[in-house]
This record gives sequence, C-alpha cells and structure tokens, in this order.
Amino acid sequence: MNHFGAPPILIDGLTVAYGDHRVLDELSLHVPAGSITALLGGNGAGKSTTLATLLGFVRAQAGTVLVSDVDPGADPDGARRKIAYLPENVALYEHLTAVENADYLLALSDERKERGVITDALAAAGLQQRAWDQRLGGFSKGMRQKVAVAVALLREVPVLLLDEPTSGLDPRATADFNALVSAVRDRGTAVLMVTHDLLSAADVADRIGFLEAGRIVEEVEAVGAERFDVRALHARFAVGTERHAA
Amino acid sequence: MRKTQLIARDELRLMVRNRVAVIAFALLVLLTLVAVLSSWSHQRANAELRARHQHEAEHAFDAQPDRHPHRVVHYGHFIFRPLGPLAAFDPGVDAFTGSSMFLEGHRQNTANFGDVRQSSMLIRFGQLTPAFVLQVVAPLLLIFLGYGVLSRETERGTMRLLMLQGVSRGQMVNGKLMALGAVAALAGLPAMIGFIAIAGQPGALALPMATIALGYAAYLALWVVVIVLVSAAVRRSRDALLALVALWAIGVVLLPRVAPDVASAAVPLQNRLQTDVAIARDLRRMGDSHNPDDPHFAAFKASVLKRYGVDWVEDLPVNYKGLLALEGERLTSELFDQYARQSYAAQNSQNALVQSVGVLSPTIALRSLSMAAAGTDFAGHQRFLEQAEAYRYVLVQRLNRMQAEAVNYSDDTATDPGADRRKRVSASNWDKMPDFTYQAPSGGALAAGALPGLVVIMGWLAAAILLLARTSRRLGEGR
Repeated sequence: MNHFGAPPILIDGLTVAYGDHRVLDELSLHVPAGSITALLGGNGAGKSTTLATLLGFVRAQAGTVLVSDVDPGADPDGARRKIAYLPENVALYEHLTAVENADYLLALSDERKERGVITDALAAAGLQQRAWDQRLGGFSKGMRQKVAVAVALLREVPVLLLDEPTSGLDPRATADFNALVSAVRDRGTAVLMVTHDLLSAADVADRIGFLEAGRIVEEVEAVGAERFDVRALHARFAVGTERHAA
Repeated sequence: MRKTQLIARDELRLMVRNRVAVIAFALLVLLTLVAVLSSWSHQRANAELRARHQHEAEHAFDAQPDRHPHRVVHYGHFIFRPLGPLAAFDPGVDAFTGSSMFLEGHRQNTANFGDVRQSSMLIRFGQLTPAFVLQVVAPLLLIFLGYGVLSRETERGTMRLLMLQGVSRGQMVNGKLMALGAVAALAGLPAMIGFIAIAGQPGALALPMATIALGYAAYLALWVVVIVLVSAAVRRSRDALLALVALWAIGVVLLPRVAPDVASAAVPLQNRLQTDVAIARDLRRMGDSHNPDDPHFAAFKASVLKRYGVDWVEDLPVNYKGLLALEGERLTSELFDQYARQSYAAQNSQNALVQSVGVLSPTIALRSLSMAAAGTDFAGHQRFLEQAEAYRYVLVQRLNRMQAEAVNYSDDTATDPGADRRKRVSASNWDKMPDFTYQAPSGGALAAGALPGLVVIMGWLAAAILLLARTSRRLGEGR
C-alpha cells in the first residue's frame, strides 16, 4: 500500500488487548509533521499502550499503525530508527557524561556527530555548559530531559514521543521544556505527548485528544492566540477521569 | 565500530569506572599470579625433592654390603612418583594420595608422604593453584561484574533506549557476551601465561595442554553465557545476583564436596585396618611354608622334588628355601593383587559416581578434565601403584631367585658361627638390579582421559547458548 503523504504518525482502528481486556479499542490518530498532539487521559486509558505500540513493543490485534510509513509491528527496528522517545523517567547512562551519553547513543544509531555539534545541541536544549562533561549520576529530571532532547535533536528523527514529560518538573522547568518541544516541532517533527498535565498540554499542543477506555472520545484544536479554553478542557478532563474511575 | 562492539565497549567502560569492579579484578589477577608462582615453585621443589630422594634411595640400595638376598628383600627400596610439569597447574590428588612407596617382600605397602598429611589443615580446603583460582574464584568475579549486564538495562529503562537506537536484541546480547568474555579472557590470562611457561618444560605434552586450555576456556565461556542468560531472564539485578550466587554455591562449592561423600556412602571402601585383617586371615588360610604338614606347601615340595628327580630337598641343585620364597611371594602377591583390584574397582566406581554428578556440575567435569589431562587424577595414581607393584614383584622375585641359585641350601640352613658369612652374596649384585622408571602415559592417553569432562562442559555450553538465544527473544517486551 502506498502511504505517500501520510502523516509521520498514523493510527487507524488500532485494537490492543491483554487477554480479554481491550486496552485500545479501534483507536485512530494522525499526527502531521510539524505539529504537537497531546493525549490526555486517566490511568488505564491506554496512553502508554499507544506509545508502546508505536515503538513496536506491543503488537496490535487489529488496525493500522505506521511511523513514517514503517509498520512497527512488522519492522520494530525500522520504526524505532524514526523515533525519539522520552519516557516519564528519562533513561540514560549514569556512568557517562552528558556528552558521552549523546555520543554513545548517536553512534549506536549510526548518526555519530563531532563533539562541537553535540555540545551545540546540549546548549540548544538548555543544558548549562558546566554540566556537559559531568556524569549523569547527579542530574535532575529536567537536566536529563535536556540531554535526551538534545539527542533527539541530533538524530533528526521525524517523530518525537513524550510520556508524561512534565511530571515532577517545577513550573520553570516545565516552561523550559515546553519551549524546547515547540522548537522541535518547528523543525518539522511530529510530536505525540501523553500526559496528565492539562496546563502543559494546553500550553504547547496544537491538538488535544481525550482518551477514554482505549479510544479518543473528543479532539480539540488550538485556535487563535488563546489556543484553548482551559476551563472547558479542565471540565472535560475531570468528567473523563471521573467516568473512568467509576 | 559495530553496534555489538559499541555495547561491549560501554559495558567495559562501566566496569572500569566502577572502583569496586576494578579492585576485584585486580585482586583476582594478583591471586592468579600468586597461585601460578607458588604452584610453580611448589611443583619444582617437589619434583627436585623426589628426584633427589629417588637418587639417594637407589644409591643406598646399590651401596648395601655383601648380604643374604632375603635380607635385601626386607631391606626394601623406596621409590618416588615423578611429578609432571602440568602438576604445577593442577596437582590433583597428588597431595592426598602420597608420592612415595616402600617396596619390600611379603607386603604391598600404600603410598606415603602426601602433602596433606604433612601440611596444615588449610590444604584440605583447596590448594591455591591456577586450577583452583579458575575453577572457583574466577566464576565468582564474573558473577559480581556481570550479573547486571542486562537486568540493569531492563531495570533502569535503558534497554528500550538501546532498542530505540536501532540496536537489536541479538546485538545487545552479543555485546554483553563480548564484554564479559573479554573480562573472562583477562582473568584467565595470568594462568595462561603460567601455562605457557609450563609448556617450555621437559615432559610437557602438547595434546593434554591444549585439552586443558580448551576445557578452561569453555568453562569460563559457560559462566559468561550463564551470567548473561540469568541477567536476561530476570527483571531485577538483585534477583540476578541472588540466582547466580546460588548457582555458584551449589555448582562450584556444594556439589563437588557432597558428590565424593555420596560416592563414599554408596560404594564403601575398606579402610587400611580392615584390609590388613582380611589379608592376614587369607594368608593364614593360604598355608604355612614352615609347617611340613601344610597341604599346599607339602604338594609344592613334592612337585619340586619330582621335577628335579630327587627325594630330598638337600639333593636339589638349587636352594629349596629360595624356591619356597619364590612360591610364597607368588601366592602373597596374587592375594595382594586381588585386594588391590577390589580397592581400585571400588575407587573407580566412586569416581564414576562423582563424574556422573559432573553432568549436574560443570565444575566437577572440569576438575576431572583438568586432573586427567595433567595426569594427577586417581587413574594417574593407580598407574603409579600398578607400576610400583610390578617393579616390586620383579625385584623381590629376582632376589628370591638369587637366593635359590646363589646361596647353598646347606649354608642357608646352617647355624654355625661362619654360616652367616657363607650365606651372603656379593654386593656387586645390587647395582645390577633394575632401577624403577615410571612410564608416564602418552599425551593421547591423557587427552582421552580428559575427553568425558570436555564433552560435559561443551554440552552445558551448547545448552546455555540455546537457552540464551531463546530467552533473549523476549527482551524488552511488554508495555
């Protein structure tokens, strides 16, 4: 099938079940290049499973999933080459410095860069110069995220997946991070973010989808300078999470 | 650089940056070096001591004055088992079995002067030899350095990070195997350097040495694969460490010590006192050459007289007492051989039982391989005992024949003051007696003895590799 012109993230009728439990139920979602989509949902709504399916760690029972035209179910390694992924707790190597982490990960993905290019990316991600050659053992979550985003920038992948990226960050760090993600989006990257953090999603996303019981029940697009009606979003989110809890 | 090599390099970088790992590795290298040097010097000193004692014993035997041959039978002769160069690597049972024997008429003595009987109790725990370090200590170091190679990646979420860089499960596992394999190779290096030094010694045989090198390489490779396998199978590093230490404790410490006890209980072996009592009982049954009414010796006497066509022993052209000594030695030796065969059979059954446990513990298989190839196993000891007994029998019977042919019967039975001098034969005869020369087995025979152990280790290695391939297919799966 020719998917010419398909968005970097394309999900159609995706169904994933663990045993008898349907976690994703005919989920459909398109994330175009140069845009940020936030998926909001309570615990168990299927947010993490959506990301795991895109990463090829979970197999779909039905539906279509494409990451830049690559089916992660059939070719997980091929799909992963197109993706930069920031989990909730950014996993990096603590025995390596920020520069060494980036150098190692880029070498593994066959995209080795000079030290100057790496430090430029770390600077662009907001990591202070004195931290570049420090081992990650003493880094805060925000600093680790900056290293991970720098690697994502350097890899120049078409897709960035973010799993609860702002949980545990203070407001200043959240604002910095959102600015960084916006910069990545502006380079033409398709960004999918799953989060509980409604304010952060409203701040950075171009589109917000409400995920309930494995399907998107409502989508809202950013409009004008105000972008979103945060009160309405909050009310909608509260209803969804209460319904899920019930 | 390929991804596998990148992963291996990073794993090694982690170990280098971990001070505990570096110190542990340095200690192992130091321990191996000490083991190589002390074992080497111990073997050299032992070999020289035995050669010197053997020379002195031969000199003392040859320097006897004119004597009655039967006095020479009882004067006896000490012989020593020469120590091969590979005993420096693995002394095997040598320290326990004894290395010298006192050969005399009418008795089959056991070997004496094992190191264990002359040393402190510590030697019973295990001598510090290169073999001991590689069999027992090296796997423990590999466990502490490698238990987290994959479980740590799972636990910290970096496994998925690696996969997201396009690293396949196979590349990840191979990289970890390569890193831990490099550590194993470095850990074994000092022992191998000592091994190469042994290779330059006279009497060092290429085939057994190659078998030992292959066996130890396979054994360490097996531990590397098992460590990566366990690390892949569990999700937490703590669980991997616990499982691996338990495997080490059971496979390396417990089974090799329990198996001989089980074998001893299953195949009881008579102790020295029981054997001596049983032999004395059988000797009494066999007959008394001094009793004229003894049926066996009466028949023997009749057959001798008939053979020579005379009526009285005094008319024989040979000394009847010498003939009696020949016959008596033949009978007692047959009896001793029968008891020795029973003892060998029981000990070989015990060893076979221990080796069958080797199917469960590759360490037992490696010990069997190592001792068999070094010629320091029970088969090597038995070879020495059999050759010693064959030599003893020939020596004693030559002396008995000398009594029959060179000492006159009437002189031999006389009790007058000058009789003792007339019974003696010239001292020049002692020098003509053959010296004991231990016939060492060929390299092919030693390697063949080591083959069952090698097959067991290779079988374990193949099974572990298959299991690892199967387990690694599921790495990083799930939400």
